Amino acid sequence: MTEFPKLTYEALTVGEEFVSDTHLVTPEDIEAYAFAVDDHHPWFSEPSPFGGPVAHPTLMANQALSLRHSKYIVHAGLHAKMEFNFLEPVRPGMRVRSRGRVIDKYERRGRQYMVTEYVTEDETGAPLVRGQFTQMLIPEGTRHAAR
Amino acid sequence: MPLAEAVAVGQELPSLSKELSQRRIDVFSGVRPRSIHTDEEWARQKGFRTTLAQGMMSTAYVSELMTRLLGAGFLKGGTLSMAFIKPVYAGDRLTVHGVVKETRPEGVGTRVVVEVWCQNQHGEKTAVGTASGLTA
Repeated sequence: MTEFPKLTYEALTVGEEFVSDTHLVTPEDIEAYAFAVDDHHPWFSEPSPFGGPVAHPTLMANQALSLRHSKYIVHAGLHAKMEFNFLEPVRPGMRVRSRGRVIDKYERRGRQYMVTEYVTEDETGAPLVRGQFTQMLIPEGTRHAAR
Repeated sequence: MPLAEAVAVGQELPSLSKELSQRRIDVFSGVRPRSIHTDEEWARQKGFRTTLAQGMMSTAYVSELMTRLLGAGFLKGGTLSMAFIKPVYAGDRLTVHGVVKETRPEGVGTRVVVEVWCQNQHGEKTAVGTASGLTA
């Protein structure tokens, strides 16, 4: 049984690791994403240079971004930075999961941040996307003053 | 003309225009309570004037810009690095821009490096960064 403590800057440990559940990429996932970002490239539903259809390159990025939810209750946060290295296209029918590791945490101008490096891989463990992201923590009981 | 020869440093890419409706944000982020993306009351409690689009939507827009430029050479071998510098709210309209800043040989092709940014309807930059990909 997994327990989910609240995510706080103090509780977070540099070096701690996360892993997502495995997700079967469906044509419906790709279609919904195409609607969300208003990008209906024909390769998302028709043959592409890679053979069959491929997904939008950032389709699984939210799986990576949500890694911390696999261990913590996250009160609120903001995404500050994102890096991608697209190694192989994600395709419908793949079962993909993301792994991450906290590589840094820091405070700047009164705000708290965490940095996670991640890889999204297929069912054989072959990497599809690598990168890292920085997320701001909005502690419970506080408001974010948008600048 | 081969793509590598058609791309020149300083070249401005055709911009994209994106309307960020709450409906699209809902589909992108998934609707749930206590989310600054899909729960307006919660977003206000957290200090925002309304719900926000995820920064990740801007990375998707830049991916579209780069895929239009480089096709398969962005989907396999592409890179993207962005900083989200200003909130994007439901109802905002973003334009997505890119200017080629470098081309360099890589393997049998050329890596094209593009300075990218998103700008809201008030002319404010909301996200800035760099993207790259390979020509065939």
